[in-house]
Amino acid sequence: MDIIVCVKHVPETAEAELKIDATGKGIEKSGLVFDINEWDDYALEEAVRIKEKFGGTVTAITVGSEDSDSTLRKCLARGADKAIRLTDPKFAGSDAYATAKILYNAIKNMRFDIILTGAQAGDDGSAVVGPVLAEFLKIPHATMVKKIEFADGKAIVNRELEGGLEERLEVKLPALFTIQTGINEPRYVSIMGIRKAMQKEIKVMGLADIGLGENEVGEAGSWLTIERLYVPPVEKQAEFLTGSPDEIASKIVEILKSKGLI
Amino acid sequence: MAEIFVLAEHRQGQLRDITFEMLTKAREIAEKTNAGLTTVLLGKNVRELAKTLAEYSPKVLLVEDGKLENFNSEAYQKVLSHLITQRKPVLTIIGHTSYGVELAPRLAAALNVPLATDCIDFGFEGEAFTVTRQMYGGKVNAKAVLRKSESYMVTVRQAAFQAQKPSVPINGQIEEIPSPLTEEITSKRFLEYVLPPPGGVDITAADVLVGIGRGIKDQSNIPMVEELAKSLGGVLACSRPIVDKGWLPSDRQVGTSGKTVKPKLYLALGISGAFQHVLGMKNSDLIIAVNKDPKAPIFSFSDYGVVEDLFKIVPVLKNKINELKAQKSS
Amino acid sequence: MQFKLTEEQMEIKRAAREFAEKEFTPELALEYDRKEEFPFELYRKAAKLGFTSMRIPEEYGGQGYGVLEECLVVEEFCRVDPGLGVAVSLGNLMVPDVLLKHGSEKQREKYIPPLAKGEKIAAAAFTEPEHGSDITKLDTTAVKVGNEWVINGSKQFITNAPIADTFIILCQTDPNATPPHRGQSLFLAEKGMPGLEATKLQGKMGIRPCVTGSLALSDLHVPEENLVGELNKGFYYALELFDGTRITVAAQAVGIAQGAFEKALAYAKTRKQFGQPIINFQGISFKLAEMAMKIEAARLLTYKAAWIYDHEKPSPAATSMAKAYASRVAMEVTDEAIQIFGGYGYLADYHVERFHRCAKITEIYEGTSEIQKLTIVNFLQKQS
Repeated sequence: MDIIVCVKHVPETAEAELKIDATGKGIEKSGLVFDINEWDDYALEEAVRIKEKFGGTVTAITVGSEDSDSTLRKCLARGADKAIRLTDPKFAGSDAYATAKILYNAIKNMRFDIILTGAQAGDDGSAVVGPVLAEFLKIPHATMVKKIEFADGKAIVNRELEGGLEERLEVKLPALFTIQTGINEPRYVSIMGIRKAMQKEIKVMGLADIGLGENEVGEAGSWLTIERLYVPPVEKQAEFLTGSPDEIASKIVEILKSKGLI
Repeated sequence: MAEIFVLAEHRQGQLRDITFEMLTKAREIAEKTNAGLTTVLLGKNVRELAKTLAEYSPKVLLVEDGKLENFNSEAYQKVLSHLITQRKPVLTIIGHTSYGVELAPRLAAALNVPLATDCIDFGFEGEAFTVTRQMYGGKVNAKAVLRKSESYMVTVRQAAFQAQKPSVPINGQIEEIPSPLTEEITSKRFLEYVLPPPGGVDITAADVLVGIGRGIKDQSNIPMVEELAKSLGGVLACSRPIVDKGWLPSDRQVGTSGKTVKPKLYLALGISGAFQHVLGMKNSDLIIAVNKDPKAPIFSFSDYGVVEDLFKIVPVLKNKINELKAQKSS
Repeated sequence: MQFKLTEEQMEIKRAAREFAEKEFTPELALEYDRKEEFPFELYRKAAKLGFTSMRIPEEYGGQGYGVLEECLVVEEFCRVDPGLGVAVSLGNLMVPDVLLKHGSEKQREKYIPPLAKGEKIAAAAFTEPEHGSDITKLDTTAVKVGNEWVINGSKQFITNAPIADTFIILCQTDPNATPPHRGQSLFLAEKGMPGLEATKLQGKMGIRPCVTGSLALSDLHVPEENLVGELNKGFYYALELFDGTRITVAAQAVGIAQGAFEKALAYAKTRKQFGQPIINFQGISFKLAEMAMKIEAARLLTYKAAWIYDHEKPSPAATSMAKAYASRVAMEVTDEAIQIFGGYGYLADYHVERFHRCAKITEIYEGTSEIQKLTIVNFLQKQS
């Protein structure tokens, strides 16, 4: 089974304080720790597990700057066999649609049985790249996948619906799946993995290598252009309880008492 | 006249809330731009649903076909491509739900209609079509503009708009369209629904919920918060990462992919407040949140907030509650 | 000259950090600090990922890196928690190292792979109740009887003694040698051998998950082939080991200091007094600047000593400078970190007091700071 995993190098923002940058269109990146997108982390793990079970290869691919190498190295250290980085100054400003185009042009001549992506990325949260890439490649797809099994050239996948419900689909291969978190438990990077990863090369390709024109990528080739970012207005602000942990706990107890909850 | 499409979302014979939320927003835009509003309903034996929709939408396009019995994005894409190509709506509105996520991006790419997903607001501003969406897990809002086009598409975040009945009763017209599906869809087939395993705790029935998130750090810390929940006469609930890690079963998950709860008290511990979680608990009577990050979005939905390490608060709070209970019983 | 880790070294640092941050939770750290027990499960997990066998060659199941790479792992581990970090990184202390340098191929094949994989634990017994800094004369003796050596005596403050499977024991084999350290030899022993008894020491000030014990050796018979290297060379072998391990102790110190510093910095930014974050007061901010400076200097000395060890020939002076300086910095920085936390810093739940308690050992074991200074002086005296 030959598997391509599309990954993205993103800042970890769950526990970080974000500031809008001077352009007003991005966030200040200094001080943020970048890593593989959380959903992609699960996608990569799923790919490696499929390879370990059925044989084949895993290729990690990303659209990003040179900094993305650390995410690709991580993929290699965790079991990917090859890594490709698509980098070009002209790619800047590409939205999910343009990114899918770039990936398509790099992937279209590659051999694969399945393509995995994260269900979405932690930065823009579009959930667009996977299905659009599948459309370009004219292969079936399923999004928000929580389980993958294989039988007779087909995949049986569980998709996450709302409210705890899932649906099972049968999908013909080759196909593209976008992976939901929780599908597996991503492994740690091992020292042995790093040693192996360092012996592998990261292949770098630009606009010309994949045969796209300038106007097909970047802002010109995108659907969506950001005009400005801003901190969401607060609908309602909690009343903050302050003091030592002991004082805070007393205040909470008083509130609960006043509401008849204890 | 320009036309706006809203794709009705339904499952197992029920129209889903997002449909009415989208219709509310679509009506507003239609009025402003003097456009017609058309709801598109695809399915099998869904005429009753079409009648309901006609109370919200002046026009309902109904396509019935056995191949549309269960949602299948490929079947939906074929039918919608046909309808959009024929009728050229200026805007197509789809829910940012498990169905919409499966359908919209691919449909938009096939038609080359610019799409913005997971929008919390959108509309025509002069010549431009602009949207508001969130980035970085809801910490930042982005105002963005779609590439100029004859036709646009958006997917809409659940609960971003409050569903309202039309102020003036609408008696919409139902127009039946013959299904353009000629052959079976074989590349992707729906097999069945999978229900969450039964026998767990029903968190929707609890008066007191102690919700835990990433901030709990480790599975070994769960007994500590479980004891607190017990002291409060409640049960443990959680946000998505806790279920993903396998620390609590999925029936404890609150949010869009879990349960919607409305307890008398929701004590959020180490939950940042991603909208997926917030949608499941924001209507609780009393919300108290403990989080180390003073900017955590959860504080915008809470009545009381504590900016502190939950591990410093929980033990003290538990002792105080237990003491109080001991005093009362003695 | 380049002050930059290679891409590979950065990856190692990142992997170690990720593992430690996810596994060494504050609660686990507090629990093991209280229990004074070795974290076996954590050790095996770390070993499986290769973190505990950095310097062991691949052919013996290790990773084949140098002291610098080992230091990166140790530093990251101790940054998250010194107790768990030290315990996990000392699981196969010294034994593989000495066997690689002086052991027979048979000894290497038998003893190193299980240690590399984390299946077994090692202890190195040099110190005695009456001989700490000065091991030039030992009370523990080994006497040849037939084709066996019979060992008698006692050892003190031995890391891992109560849990180790494989021991190396430094013994006086020629009591009449002059000077006496020319009559010392190293022997391998295994858990369960009659006459080898370990007792756990309780109540250590810090690094409590790293278990320490004493050894009582009474008529311990070890076969002839358990002699490591040449007879009467044991003292030199031991000193040679310290050239490497002392650098990793310096790395422990750097990690401990860094961890406490980061906690203090975060606290100083959020703790408000007199209406503003305390970092706005120079009394606090200058402390933080001093701490950052010292840590950086300690780190540079440590990396340099490691680099020299890996690329040139081991330099006892560079090693001792790194260890003595970094361990002092760890003491000072953790002390200041508590001061910045004020009353809260004095509480276990705020963690910095544990870092301070753990820091102290780095000034003591693997040669006290005073012994390090002797080594440096010795080097200076040879300079023209």
